[in-house]
Amino acid sequence: MLLYQLKIALTSLRRNPVITSLLIGGIALGICVSTTFIALRHVFEKDPLPGKSNTLFYVRLDNWDPQRAYVAEDPKSLPTMVTYRDMRELMKSNIPTRQTGTFRTRFFVHPDPKIGRPYAEDVRLVFADFFTMFNVPFQYGGGWDKTADAKPEPVIVIDQNTNQKLFAGANSVGRTVRLEDRNYKVVGVLAPWNPPLRFYDPTQGLGPKVEPIYMPFNFTPILEIQTFGNSDGWKGNDGDGYKAFLNSDTCWLEYWVELPTPEKQQAFRQYVNNYVIDQKKHGRFGRPLHTEVTSMPELTKELGIVPPQIRSLAIVSVLFLIVCSLNLIGLLLGKFIARIPEISVRRALGASRLHVFWQHIVECEVVGIAGGLIGLGISVGLLKMVAKVIPNGDVVHLDAEMIAVSIFLSLVAGLLAGIYPAWRVCSIPPAMQLKVQ
Amino acid sequence: MPFGPIIRAMRHNRMRFAFIILEIAITLAIVTNAVNMILDERKKMLQTSGFDDDNLVSIAYQPFAPEFKEQPYVEALVQKDMRAIHSIPGVKAVATTYFLPWQGGGSSGVWKSDGFNGKFQAQLYAARGEIFQTLGVKVTQGRAFVETDTPAESNTPTRVTIISRALAKKLWGNANPIGRVITNGEGATPRTVIGVIDDFYNPYAWNIGEFVLFTPGRAYDSGGAVFLVRTEPGAMKSVVSQLEPRLLSVNPGRVFRIVKISDLKDQYFSGGKLVIGAMTAIIIILVFITALGIMGISSLAVAERTKQIGTRRALGATRADILKHFLLENWLVTTAGLILGVIGAYGLNVLLVSKLSDVKMQWELVAGGMLLLWLNGLMSTVPAAMRATLVPPSIATRSV
Repeated sequence: MLLYQLKIALTSLRRNPVITSLLIGGIALGICVSTTFIALRHVFEKDPLPGKSNTLFYVRLDNWDPQRAYVAEDPKSLPTMVTYRDMRELMKSNIPTRQTGTFRTRFFVHPDPKIGRPYAEDVRLVFADFFTMFNVPFQYGGGWDKTADAKPEPVIVIDQNTNQKLFAGANSVGRTVRLEDRNYKVVGVLAPWNPPLRFYDPTQGLGPKVEPIYMPFNFTPILEIQTFGNSDGWKGNDGDGYKAFLNSDTCWLEYWVELPTPEKQQAFRQYVNNYVIDQKKHGRFGRPLHTEVTSMPELTKELGIVPPQIRSLAIVSVLFLIVCSLNLIGLLLGKFIARIPEISVRRALGASRLHVFWQHIVECEVVGIAGGLIGLGISVGLLKMVAKVIPNGDVVHLDAEMIAVSIFLSLVAGLLAGIYPAWRVCSIPPAMQLKVQ
Repeated sequence: MPFGPIIRAMRHNRMRFAFIILEIAITLAIVTNAVNMILDERKKMLQTSGFDDDNLVSIAYQPFAPEFKEQPYVEALVQKDMRAIHSIPGVKAVATTYFLPWQGGGSSGVWKSDGFNGKFQAQLYAARGEIFQTLGVKVTQGRAFVETDTPAESNTPTRVTIISRALAKKLWGNANPIGRVITNGEGATPRTVIGVIDDFYNPYAWNIGEFVLFTPGRAYDSGGAVFLVRTEPGAMKSVVSQLEPRLLSVNPGRVFRIVKISDLKDQYFSGGKLVIGAMTAIIIILVFITALGIMGISSLAVAERTKQIGTRRALGATRADILKHFLLENWLVTTAGLILGVIGAYGLNVLLVSKLSDVKMQWELVAGGMLLLWLNGLMSTVPAAMRATLVPPSIATRSV
């Protein structure tokens, strides 16, 4: 039956190519605009770690100036990062199943002189748990273990590009890389990894890419490594030198914990609060007790990492599709009403109302699918244009989920445009029309 | 003009008109909100830095050679580098500073000052060399930095500062800012204001984009330096091509990164450009589509009623009466759509903003959108209505 209806639909569509192309064009226009902006939003707002992001929590403490909130106008604001000393103390807890403090720096990579000149590269300092917590994909080898953290052992993880540059893409696990004036043993090489947001570092907004090199955090005090990320301070250091900096109230580290169960979340929040209350006894944390242990999805939302305009564009583009589809109602009405004599003959010959209704719906859905496919094709081009304009645009693409959404939308659009005209034509009594004939 | 018959005639096609009303309503909601967003972005983009953005380029180096660990060596090298950059034809001025216009961020601190209650936040940048000539801003009050303002030792705090007019106004109103003292949040390291620059804007959190303190300090250490270079108009390309070779000839033990300020600015405004481009396209297509839709519906309405039109004509209605009938019918539909659309416009605005306090929709914008769609509706009906006037009265006597 469906095949038969499909056949009639195609015949009918072929009969008036101008109207048919107008109909398809209308849907295509709506679909290309809506798919483009829904996909853009999807790229940046989709869960980076499905099933896991709700167990990853970001820790913040209000250690700011007692006389002045972090954001002066908002007394409830608190620093977006934590201090070195607080991170160290909090990491002594065994409540989190995994945890890592982390920051970004820049080091010189000294390749074999035959390969090239030294170059500066972004390096992230992390604990062993980092790779498991954030599902970092490996091509060769893997992260390091806790003993490498503790010592720390001179080990690093490099990304695919670095591996290509230094080792021509070979399995380089066990080889050494010179950073500044030390040699490090490669323990892992990343598989291609290009998340749209650097989700473990919420302080930089859209744009920055994941780092090409990772090394154990505990080299920080030994090598006196400076951060290349943000660092917020409100009071000077007590004394000079790096040690004084590490002991200061300057916030410059991101601290993540994995808390898989509500009990652990509860216990860890309590633990953090107890720590701050204890610190207050030592004269720190002069502001009212305020700590935040925020899950990754909430944090992304709270910090507004994805610009609100991206969401606005998606909403407007869906409304645009609705207008496109409402617009076709007039066209379809005209088309179907012109066909009333034919329909009444079919009705008189025994076609049921439902049959006539479905036949017209099928015709509209053929238009919807055709328009949808064309629109989808155009939106691939549009997304390429958008990708050139925005920072970190190379992550923008259509995934299977978005293609499915787009086809679903074109079906809905076809239905929206066709349901009323189809109902109108099927409710015409056969006899009256025959009489006029 | 009698509305009664028109409305009664419309009742026969309630659904069809309901769809058009809905379409016009959504169109108005989208158009007004899209214009609203465009205006928002335009306002942001109109913000000027006050600097000669198009002729500014920054070159940073990071050293790997061991001699850079020696402070005196770096001191001498930075001076040599500045002379080398200056000697490139087309270079107007050069300074060392970590300040990078349009970077969106930088460094800032919390400060106190005499005559201002409480603490305030402002950006802070150390700079050496002809920083203000380089940026292209004038010191309009007081004086610029001189070489002796920079302390001989790198760890000695600086004693003077030059601030932006906006900051001076915030702190002391219209009183003379020269000679005032600004300290850090703890009340230590006092710096005397020796000059004021009129223009300064660098996007920064906490809304402190216009507030800045420049100090005559070193923007370089054993980890590297950043030079900001201003070129003659049109000389950018040739200067950029010579920067790295020149500095490599001074010392090859380092790598460079060159950033044109115009590129940074483009990047900063990229999101805004996307919004403006996309929204403009959506408005144009939408108005066009709605016009097409109204045209389709009105010609259908005319075609369907050919016989009735002929009857009315035969009963004495003039051509003008017929024209009026269809134009009024459309006017009624459009107006109903627009009234619904006003509600939609405000509703969508609420949906689009992240915080309810950001809701803003000027009535002028809504009124403008209504006017546009009224005209649009009227013009789209004219062709069909004109066709209706051409229906001859004799058609009433024919059976089909």
